[in-house]
Amino acid sequence: MSEDCGRTFDEELLSGHVDGALTQGDAQRVRLHLEECATCRALVDELAAVRDATMSSTFDLPRDHEWSEAPRTGASRMLRGLGWPIIVAWIVVVVGYGIWEALQEAENLIERLILVGGVSGIGLLFLSALLDRLKAMTTDRYREVHK
Amino acid sequence: MVEQPAAAAFQSGAGAADPVSDQALIAQARAGHEGARDTLAIRHRQPAYLLALQLLGNREDALDVAQDAMLRFFMTLDTFDAERRVQPWLFTIVRNQVRDLWRKRQRRPGDWAPEAESLTRQLADPAANPEVDLRRQQLRERVWRALATLPTEKREIIVLRDFHDLAYREIAQVLAIPIGTVMSRLHGARRLLRTRLEEGGRHV
Repeated sequence: MSEDCGRTFDEELLSGHVDGALTQGDAQRVRLHLEECATCRALVDELAAVRDATMSSTFDLPRDHEWSEAPRTGASRMLRGLGWPIIVAWIVVVVGYGIWEALQEAENLIERLILVGGVSGIGLLFLSALLDRLKAMTTDRYREVHK
Repeated sequence: MVEQPAAAAFQSGAGAADPVSDQALIAQARAGHEGARDTLAIRHRQPAYLLALQLLGNREDALDVAQDAMLRFFMTLDTFDAERRVQPWLFTIVRNQVRDLWRKRQRRPGDWAPEAESLTRQLADPAANPEVDLRRQQLRERVWRALATLPTEKREIIVLRDFHDLAYREIAQVLAIPIGTVMSRLHGARRLLRTRLEEGGRHV
């Protein structure tokens, strides 16, 4: 029974009709019904319009490099997640230890100030450049054009 | 490469620009030909991504799922019946991966709905002739927003049929349901989608 027109008609056949998936007999049955039922004709038009909208949709797709960058398994994802913090911690410890050693070996306050000032200045400049580069990497819409 | 036509371009698996059939590529891949694996991956990963996106609504999750699905596809290549189309097999893997993700996040598959806005944000902008395309694009956005509100079972059958253009037989294979159930489930899903569109105050 069709919900809309109330006649004895298997309404799901209308979906089969829209999809072109009916047997010859069912297709004939639907055709005859549609000839006399304006309600079902309207329903078919609506179903077809929605189907057309869905079918003709396009989505933004990942760029090629995103595929190669994505971790391939859960284990590699976890290891990559662990790897970066460990590398950062390693850099902090090694650089910190180097600075500490240099400070210990400095013979007077002026040498220490020169060391701290130099290291701080270079560190801040490096950090600034790094942040700018990271920002550019994530927001540059024309990055792919240059390749 | 940002945008590509969605369904039609990926359906055949062997377009005019790429005459090597999936069957031939699978045979070569089984023989250890890396180039054949790459070609298969490039050909099929975008539809896998799109299905994952349409089920999950989240770009990063979809990329992870598609990547994992491709990996599993190649792991199971030896058991794949090369006479069949690749896409239904791959979509079955994608669907299982999506369900695994839901389970990991302790959600029941039926409860999961992608964020409508997150999904529609991924719709490509109408490229040419905005005057003509704007109305159609608005309809597309409404449809995908409404689709995102449907229960998973109904959303996935519409997506498989209307976007990915799978045959009823292939849908039955992906969803693991009898072929006789496909039409009735699809019609029920379309009816609910129509209701959701109307509830939005906008008739098609």
